[in-house]
Amino acid sequence: MLSHFLLMVLYALIVSLFFTLLWRRGRREQIKLFLQIFLGMVGGGLLVAWLMYPFPSGPPAPIP
Amino acid sequence: MAESDGVPAQPQPAPPQRVRPQGNAVVAVLSAWLVPGLGHIYLKRRLRGLAFFVLVMVSIFIGCRLEGNLYKVVPGQPLSVLATLGSMGMGFPYFLLRYGIHYQGNIMGAGYEYGTAFLLTAGLMNLLLTLDAWDIVRGKKE
Repeated sequence: MLSHFLLMVLYALIVSLFFTLLWRRGRREQIKLFLQIFLGMVGGGLLVAWLMYPFPSGPPAPIP
Repeated sequence: MAESDGVPAQPQPAPPQRVRPQGNAVVAVLSAWLVPGLGHIYLKRRLRGLAFFVLVMVSIFIGCRLEGNLYKVVPGQPLSVLATLGSMGMGFPYFLLRYGIHYQGNIMGAGYEYGTAFLLTAGLMNLLLTLDAWDIVRGKKE
């Protein structure tokens, strides 16, 4: 339950399903919008994670 | 007159279609806010209302399982007012969690930040549902 990736996917799934049902009626349009939001959120999250990869994640190094 | 000047008349854009208003606005908005999806069910959008109910409740459930923060107003922190209003958007579940079972998040919990995001999102989603019910009852949306 505490996997960051799983939680991100779950969050993206809930939000994209919500907006799909709220904004679109036709089945094709719904699928299109769902994929746009879902992939945008998951892909965007992975992209930001990749961009932050070089930065250290631990506590700041002690000052000598 | 425009044709007599040699300029063809521009076709007038069709007026936006308005669906006939239905139901009582106060009942629709209040029920939509109190119970996620109930406003849509009241307006005879039963499947959509049920789907919205499930989505919002799942979001609340995950937020609670992750021990996220259910915002309340903190004196001296004006942004906490906005966050509290957003969380209260989930309606009855907020008051049930806050005053019924005295839910409190766990700031030391590993999923605290994620849980807070899920809980706040549930409230904001339900606020959008309330506005959607308002649009439907006013005939601005199908």
